[in-house]
Amino acid sequence: MQTLQLLISGIAQGMIYALVAFGYNITFSTSKTLNFSLGNFLMAGGVIGFVLYMTRGYPFWGTLLGVIAVGAVGGAILLKVAVEPSLRQRNAYGWILATLAVGIILRNAAEVFWSTDDFKFRSPLGDSPIRLLQHLRPDGTLSAGLGVYPQELLIIVVSLAIVAGVEAFKRFTVFGKAVQAVSEDKDTASLMGIDQRWVILSSFMLSTAIACVAGVLVAPITLVSATMGTVLGVKAYSASIIGGLESGIGAVVGGLFLGISEALTARFVSTGYKDVPGFVVLILLLLFKPSGLFGRAVIRKV
Amino acid sequence: MNRLALWVVTLLVAAPALADIKVGVYGPYTGGSAGMGVCMRNGVELAAEEINAKGGILGQKVELVKRDDEAKNERGGQIMQEFLDKEKVVAVLGPINTGVADNSTRYANERKVPVIINASAGAKVNDYFAQAPENYIFRIAAADPLQTELTVKEAVDVRKYKKPALLCDDTNYGQGGRAKLEAALAKRNMKAVYVGKFKIKDTDMTPQVQEAKAAGADVLLVWGIGPELAAVANSLDRVGWKVDMIGGWTLSMAAFINNAGKNGNGATTPLTFIEGDTSGAKQKKFVDDYHKKFNENPIQVAVAAAQGYDSLYLLKQAIEQAKSTEGDKIRLALENLQQPFVGVTGTYNKPFSPTNHEAVSADQMKMGVVKDGTVVRGIAKK
Repeated sequence: MQTLQLLISGIAQGMIYALVAFGYNITFSTSKTLNFSLGNFLMAGGVIGFVLYMTRGYPFWGTLLGVIAVGAVGGAILLKVAVEPSLRQRNAYGWILATLAVGIILRNAAEVFWSTDDFKFRSPLGDSPIRLLQHLRPDGTLSAGLGVYPQELLIIVVSLAIVAGVEAFKRFTVFGKAVQAVSEDKDTASLMGIDQRWVILSSFMLSTAIACVAGVLVAPITLVSATMGTVLGVKAYSASIIGGLESGIGAVVGGLFLGISEALTARFVSTGYKDVPGFVVLILLLLFKPSGLFGRAVIRKV
Repeated sequence: MNRLALWVVTLLVAAPALADIKVGVYGPYTGGSAGMGVCMRNGVELAAEEINAKGGILGQKVELVKRDDEAKNERGGQIMQEFLDKEKVVAVLGPINTGVADNSTRYANERKVPVIINASAGAKVNDYFAQAPENYIFRIAAADPLQTELTVKEAVDVRKYKKPALLCDDTNYGQGGRAKLEAALAKRNMKAVYVGKFKIKDTDMTPQVQEAKAAGADVLLVWGIGPELAAVANSLDRVGWKVDMIGGWTLSMAAFINNAGKNGNGATTPLTFIEGDTSGAKQKKFVDDYHKKFNENPIQVAVAAAQGYDSLYLLKQAIEQAKSTEGDKIRLALENLQQPFVGVTGTYNKPFSPTNHEAVSADQMKMGVVKDGTVVRGIAKK
């Protein structure tokens, strides 16, 4: 029963890692760059969602739409300002610092223009846990059973839907094929008449929009604050490395692995070591299978 | 334009008349502990406004020099040097964070400028006596040893629990609290059945509370700050474990009360001041004035506000007794106050002595219990 409770915590946490990790995958597969400000886009989503939903009282679906719009526009700006210049100059690594810088700017902006405190984001589905698997004790009272927050179920459902939707889009539509072609070979795809700039732009917009949605989804479980995305961004990055940077399924598996290992280690080993197994596996993978669990080994033809 | 000119003239005319008593106030006004810092500063401001409206101290106006230390240790040191060298303050009030205090108070001690610590529970105060008998650091706040002792007393002596579990964050504050809680338990020949740890920004404490429950704990003693303590309360609700939660004054922070919601009900903590307990006229006036002036109801961190308010009045009483603003004379007056000091946090007969600079003792402390979004005075249980 206890372990089951921990698994639920771990899975919900893992799906959040997976969602952000998926955002890393999307831009990597089209442009071979990573958007290191995703964690802070998640924060921006949480904060803007908080302002719209809690402060202004907009309905939840309207909040989601607003956050998606902000995320998409933010992604486009990020690409134009931070990533494209360094790609154009063939400066292979300028975008690393540039995207990190955008993340820092986002966080500081939230601290200055919004608040430095932590706030409670009320779940649209209610904040009381659903009780499962309760049984009658001999003295006639109900046992506590499992406590699951409705929001956790929402996170799992929405995350899986987003990942499945994007993967299906990539595999079964013409646009999806174009994306895959660009990720396979940018220059040849261009020669075939695919506008690779458009593909890269939409991949950035999609990844930041997903991160912003993730922010609204996690906010009721965590708290909303200007620093809520910092740790999540790093954990999600390791999740996507564990799973393999090019694989959508890999992001989910990597995220779940991290989330579950954290919960179980905290309980059965020590709370101080809860991050250790994930990072040990990360290092082992980097040593023996650098492309990740589900990644294809990169073969460079010269 | 006219109005601007008028302002300039007013300032020019007014400035020389204000041969002011400068008092430095520092604390975190931004960042994670901003709630405590801002409330402390507001409390001091409220006191300064009242004092100036009634003619100031020794006929001079009080001028506050306010600085944001951002809860950063090195900023604390810089600000203190600015207070001493540039602003030439008469005394200093603040700060919130233990590290900030310990990085800055020694400068004040060297320069013989009194500091009245009005929030930090862990900062060095009486420890300075070992180096120099002339100690300029005072405190009007419940120090950690007192808070931990009262916490354990409530759990073990009053509520008769036998198997306490400790849950503390991994900062200096949390781990210092853990060591002192363990010492207070050891004094009663008891040991915690489980000692757990969590990090700042952790939001799911399910593993920790499960482990505490599995160890057979009958009470949780917690030491951390608002948001993480709220996560502990929420995780207790999640696993469906109803257990008393007792801990430091941070359980009275809005960050705990708001984020824990109904799950925070019943959390108990020793406090110097309880906003909901306005049995005294002085306390009621303070709370009402604060609500009005800062448009904040309830007060985010009422304890910090009340201690900030009291710290300036305490300084005023000492300066008036010394009839001087020289650091040395203020120190001697503080160590030997002729009249009892009547503050909103309590009445202090001789709050300080030449060998003890801690104003707050168990007498001033009340047990606060979180109830439906505010803190009320605890009723002795059992």
